[in-house]
Amino acid sequence: MTAALLLQSAIIGVSIGSIYILMALGLTLMFGMMHIINFAHGAVYMLGAFVIYYVFFQGGVPYFVAFLVAMVLLGAFGYLVERSVYRPIKGGIEPTLVALLALTTFLQAAGYPVFGQLDKHVPPVFEGTRNILGVMISVERLMIIPVAAVLVVGLYLFINKTRLGAAMRAIEQDKEAAALQGVNVHVVNGLAFAIGFALAAAAGALMAPIFKLDPMMGEQPLLKAFIIIILGGLGSIPGAILGGLMLGLIDSIVATALGAEPAFLLSFVFIIGLLLFKPTGLFGHAP
Amino acid sequence: MLRRATTPTVLVVALGLALLVPLLGDYYIHVFALVFTNIILAASLRPSLTCGQLNIGHSAFMCLGAYTSALLAKHYGVPFELSLLSGALLATVVGLVVGYPALRLRGVYFAMVTVAFVEVIRLVAAIWVPLTRGNSGLSGIPKPNLLGVTLATKPSQYYLVVGLTVVTLFILWRLERSRLGLTWKSIGLADNLAQSLGVNIAAHKLLAFAVGCFFAGVAGAFYAHFIRFLFPPEFGFLVATNILVYNFVGGRGHFVGPIVGAVFLSLLSEPFRGSAYETIFFSIAMLLTILFLPGGIITLPGKLAGLRWGRAASAPTPSPAG
Repeated sequence: MTAALLLQSAIIGVSIGSIYILMALGLTLMFGMMHIINFAHGAVYMLGAFVIYYVFFQGGVPYFVAFLVAMVLLGAFGYLVERSVYRPIKGGIEPTLVALLALTTFLQAAGYPVFGQLDKHVPPVFEGTRNILGVMISVERLMIIPVAAVLVVGLYLFINKTRLGAAMRAIEQDKEAAALQGVNVHVVNGLAFAIGFALAAAAGALMAPIFKLDPMMGEQPLLKAFIIIILGGLGSIPGAILGGLMLGLIDSIVATALGAEPAFLLSFVFIIGLLLFKPTGLFGHAP
Repeated sequence: MLRRATTPTVLVVALGLALLVPLLGDYYIHVFALVFTNIILAASLRPSLTCGQLNIGHSAFMCLGAYTSALLAKHYGVPFELSLLSGALLATVVGLVVGYPALRLRGVYFAMVTVAFVEVIRLVAAIWVPLTRGNSGLSGIPKPNLLGVTLATKPSQYYLVVGLTVVTLFILWRLERSRLGLTWKSIGLADNLAQSLGVNIAAHKLLAFAVGCFFAGVAGAFYAHFIRFLFPPEFGFLVATNILVYNFVGGRGHFVGPIVGAVFLSLLSEPFRGSAYETIFFSIAMLLTILFLPGGIITLPGKLAGLRWGRAASAPTPSPAG
């Protein structure tokens, strides 16, 4: 592998990693507060991409407006899921996971009759390539990085600098104590669902012009996000960011050298090995 | 909880009816053979679920059993009894390797690892083309044989799966009723309490998981020699979720839950088999059950009558926190 190819793979890796980070952040946030894993995250990613297809491509609305529509629509959907699935189950972790799993398979399967059997394509939003340190990278892939960075910084500021963010951190530390201090746990959990769903929708919306669209498209990013949060430690936001970057780089560089399937198998073996020696992940605290 | 006297009666009647299925013709033989395969799969997930471990990757172990048995029989002429056992044992060994690191942690780690593992096995089956023929599918798998006699007809193969199911259910039922089964149940109800009483919870979770992998391998091996064509995408995420759905929709409170779930859902979804509507049907059944009938179908008669199964049924199904 030449230096130029390596650099190119690395930049693409950061761009893919940014998508993974957006997926993993929502998962880890929801895990930290509610101790659940949102299996529906991949389906939400898929829906985010389809919003871009219908609103931007079919509807002719400007891309960034469609992007916001995807985030708002699916964020609202996230709040609804908290209201109608998570809340009625009253904290039973196992039934909640299974219900979210059922929601996933429902959204995926319903995608076929609703969106049609054929793969959909969204035309490129940003044309052309840019020369970075001597290698050519498509602007489409490059644009993912700043957009994701803005969302990540926004989330960081929200969690650390606002009252609602403080409420989220309080629930993460101790739900009962937070409730006693007057935090409306239901509403704040709903907000976490909304944020997680909106970030997954953003990831899907960013990838829509790059990959083909089909109802199962969220499966791969979801599995990648699982690997990232195990790697970074469940519930850890810095872990999700670092893990996302690492997996993006591994994915891009190993995939360029050996192919996409070995890259995935390698990351799985790596995770199993990591669980043997550092069960809580890189940044996780003891369960 | 079923009353003691009714359980054997119901079982004998069900078995008697099952033996009559071949009178209905080849189509029904095929359908019911798959229903029995699903019963083995569903029941074999129960030990893990009893321990409070959500295994969302059971189809991976079915896949291992299927390919192992099919390849041994096809290339080396290994008799069915041996190839089935090898498939089941390989599934068990792989289950131990994957389960060991994941089961020492919180339940959600295990759930995520099993989901990813389905994809790992599917990918291996798809890219190891010289061995598995990849996505072109493995064909020419010999029909099952028993004691050297090839079971060439569909009814004989059907009776084979009925026999396998009866043996599997008997073993799993004995396990559940044994001291081991009680220990698993105690882990599912309160693992920290069980641990404080000296139970090695990680070892027990691993054992329960391995038992499940073994019987998933058995189901896979039968499937391979019955359908005689294997195709990696058939062992994906959806099959794994279906196995979980049988357990939850049937009910987790009693041994018959997964059996009821597998029979009920396999037969009801038969008209849409292979289409997107099958999955839609399954997921809606699952969501409705979890939200409105948390104990599953087996609690329905009790809820309706309010008499026979009364209190046990209306008590919420214990779900482990963790």
